[in-house]
Amino acid sequence: MEKSIRKFWPIFVLPTLAAFIIGFIWPFIWGIGLSFCQFITVDRVNFVGLQNYISVWADNTFTHAFAFTTLFTIVSTVLINLCGFGLALLLTRHIKGTNLFRTVYFMPNLIGGVVLGYIWQTLFNGILTILGKPLITLNATYGFWGLIILMCWQQIGYMMIIYIAGLQNVPPDLIEAAKIDGANSRQILTKVKIPMVMPSVTICTFLTLTNSFKLFDQNLSLTGGEPAKSTMMLAYNIYDTFYARSGPQWKGIGQAKAVVFFLAVIVIALIQLRITRSKEVQQ
Amino acid sequence: MSASKMTRRVNAVLSVLLGLLCIAYVYPIFLILINSLKTERAITTATVFELPTAETFVKFQNYITGITSMNFLQSFWYSLFISVSSVFLILLCCSMCAWFITRVKGKLSSAMYYLCVFSMVVPFQMVMFTLAKTADTLKLNNPYNICIIYLGFGAGLAVFMFTGFMKSMPVEIEEAAMIDGCNPLQIFFKVVCPILKPTMISTAILEVMWVWNDYLLPTLVLDIKSYRTIPMAIQYFRGSYGKVEMGPMMGCIMLTVLPVVILYLICQKYIIEGVVAGAVKG
Amino acid sequence: MNAKKIISLLIVCAMAAALLVGCGSSAPATNDASGETASTGATGKVYYLNFKPEQDQQWQDLAAAYTAETGVPVTVVTAASGEYETTLMSEMAKSDAPTLFQVNGPVGLANWKDYCYDLSGTELVSELTSDAYALKDGEATLGVGYVIESYGLIANKDLLEQAGYTVEDINSFESLKAIAEDITARQDELGFAAFTSAGMDGSSDWRYKTHLANLPIYFEYQADGITSTDAIKGTYLDNYKNIFDLYINNSTCDPTQLAGKTGDDSRNEFLAGEAVFYQNGSWEYVNLTGENGFTDDQLAMIPIYIGVGDEANQGLCTGCENYWCINNAAPEEDIQATLDFLTWCVTSEEGTAALANEMGFVIPFKGAAESTNLFVKQDSEMTAAGKVPVAWTFTTMPSENWKNGVGSALTAYAAGTGDWDGVVTAFVDGWAAEVALSANAG
Repeated sequence: MEKSIRKFWPIFVLPTLAAFIIGFIWPFIWGIGLSFCQFITVDRVNFVGLQNYISVWADNTFTHAFAFTTLFTIVSTVLINLCGFGLALLLTRHIKGTNLFRTVYFMPNLIGGVVLGYIWQTLFNGILTILGKPLITLNATYGFWGLIILMCWQQIGYMMIIYIAGLQNVPPDLIEAAKIDGANSRQILTKVKIPMVMPSVTICTFLTLTNSFKLFDQNLSLTGGEPAKSTMMLAYNIYDTFYARSGPQWKGIGQAKAVVFFLAVIVIALIQLRITRSKEVQQ
Repeated sequence: MSASKMTRRVNAVLSVLLGLLCIAYVYPIFLILINSLKTERAITTATVFELPTAETFVKFQNYITGITSMNFLQSFWYSLFISVSSVFLILLCCSMCAWFITRVKGKLSSAMYYLCVFSMVVPFQMVMFTLAKTADTLKLNNPYNICIIYLGFGAGLAVFMFTGFMKSMPVEIEEAAMIDGCNPLQIFFKVVCPILKPTMISTAILEVMWVWNDYLLPTLVLDIKSYRTIPMAIQYFRGSYGKVEMGPMMGCIMLTVLPVVILYLICQKYIIEGVVAGAVKG
Repeated sequence: MNAKKIISLLIVCAMAAALLVGCGSSAPATNDASGETASTGATGKVYYLNFKPEQDQQWQDLAAAYTAETGVPVTVVTAASGEYETTLMSEMAKSDAPTLFQVNGPVGLANWKDYCYDLSGTELVSELTSDAYALKDGEATLGVGYVIESYGLIANKDLLEQAGYTVEDINSFESLKAIAEDITARQDELGFAAFTSAGMDGSSDWRYKTHLANLPIYFEYQADGITSTDAIKGTYLDNYKNIFDLYINNSTCDPTQLAGKTGDDSRNEFLAGEAVFYQNGSWEYVNLTGENGFTDDQLAMIPIYIGVGDEANQGLCTGCENYWCINNAAPEEDIQATLDFLTWCVTSEEGTAALANEMGFVIPFKGAAESTNLFVKQDSEMTAAGKVPVAWTFTTMPSENWKNGVGSALTAYAAGTGDWDGVVTAFVDGWAAEVALSANAG
């Protein structure tokens, strides 16, 4: 059978492969190449070696964005997963209205990042005015927490759904057995439920980590990096370097930043997978 | 007995608390709704929480202005067309590709697989400039063929999800079909596709959510002389001297959000199951 | 079974079609790209990347009118607010790049001069009323200013009358201060304040960090007899403080709450008759008049007095920061088409009428039609009466970063979390630091 399928490869693989080359492989390789060059449009390109990579670290908006993004990623990952898991625990208790709650909590996930940013900007500015505080785009601390709240609002529901599925897969006899052995509800949670949902934890932390680290749309529309680029995250900083700063040197630096960013994402993903995978229970 | 009574009481309290949380969850959208019905002048930071009064209520005026001034319906159509065509193409091509990868062992298959996994973690900023340039050179810059770009950039996730599912699919049925004289195409569409339906749905949902809401890719790739998707159009309510047309903007946000919410309420069972299935496979 | 067969057949067809699209599009596309330069030989085309979202519709209409008259296709695309640089950058990289774009004065030109066509000797340049509106780099004329704008204090004459004053009473900083403080003292009785609230965020912070800051810089340049500098001294910063204090202490809300207001709030207060004065420019005319707005009789624009120089003869702040540039990388015939289009816009009856009436622009060209914009008319009246307009010096401000620094310091000062020394530091030291930075980068 393998042989006869192999003969059909132009039909099965070629369309995807062709699009994949156009939409990913070629731009990726070209992008790496351009990170060593100085250019504005691709017909005027000068090779400059590692100069761009040196300039990246001299640009303090980038290092600031790096720190800001890291902090944001840690806080949002922890908060989203804790809240998501907590809600999942509550919603598996057979409380009245569980279906309604689940439906509502998941909903924000479907709304696009740009639109979400505008919705929350209106809301935050209204609240801040009532409190007599500066607008969200004038204070980096508010901007940071604004982004965190927005991300939580959007992502908790999604993670909750995954955790619910994980919790429902815990075999009831396992919990019964633990009860018979005299375990209290806290012990059941920490010794039985959590180890059993570790695969869900892996997925959820992976998703929240990469989503937060790569956040762009929400950042653009909620704070726009204001005040003075202090709430600008990495993805947005790269975009800003690339398109908003004019001058022949910036595009190459932007591309070099993108490579650094890409490597950081890979490293984070690998570390995270290694840590959580090692804690999973083999079933 | 008393323990279960206790649980019931705790559950009732929790029910109320979770209900309150629900209201907090819906509130931001409700806020946009009430403001979209107010006259522009009544939408200031100080009055944003007030309900429309007889004076400030303008019915659907903001919606009409928003739709006409921004050519919103056209943007809506482009967004819809791009989403549907891209997702259709992704599902079709990637499921076929994934089946090939799982059933045929070889260098091509494993190379494709690892490249797909790799592409899932690469941030878009890495390729944004070169991808836009490539799309421009190949004239893949209108809503009718941008789906090829989406297929290329979205292939990773889809192939990954399909192979994840197919690995656990028994090969015997397919072999039986082959003995019955089916060629691989027939086997794929008659035997594999029906089994694949649940995974198709979850992949479709994830991809639709991505394509429909995507802002940066269409902004950079599409020929902005003629085409704007909804997320791009929303940006245009801000004037050069900082004036934001708050009313029409709120109206258009509602028009963007409502179809999604309605669709979600209708097919929420599939969507939620799809997300779970997708996550567990992933 | 039959139905299933049909369905699967359909899917196969669809797939085959997709395949064709997938592979086919790359082959003819390359033909397209190479064929394009040859095929456009006969007539050029114009692609204008417009900066001002407010005038988008008017430009589209004008472009359509030109195409109907001459048959030359004109495409107008407007960038979303705050996205002009990013849109221009991304569009310039495409094969079908804009033939016409704009820069904001010398600082903006520095970034794009390699892409600007030299306009020297063209009819367009010869139509300019003054050489001052040509943007030069050495000998080459790379841009032409296309709109002159004015700003000042927009006053609600009805409210001013209710408080017992007229516009003529205000002729110096002292009289402005006296009237504003009198209105504040009687605020409860009158039911309105002197100034609108601020909008210190991105929505209108330029009113203070750029437009208001223009005045001390202008007077310093005047006093020193220069037109730009690498090191600002801040001679008139005390006056800057005085006018800013006057704004924030006599506005619709407490100074500490100013940071919680947006530019839209500020405009809405003025429209609702909650304040007499509103610092803004001639571009704001369309937002203040018309439906639900004011009539021309109710409004006036007066100079911003800060207590420096010859106040009796001070005019509005008038200048230009929008310059047209033509993309030198565009095909020859497109450049010609663009030049023709622009010349038509500023010389033909239809073009000048549209620019003046529909868009409310005052254009620095000989054939300009008279604008219906009240504030623009007031500016020319004042100039005719011998008042000296305050020139726009903010095109010489070192960078966007400098403006942001001053803006943040002003916000902190208004909110009481920072003091005026912070503003002075951002103004004077920040200027030198930014100049040094851009010198290094260059």
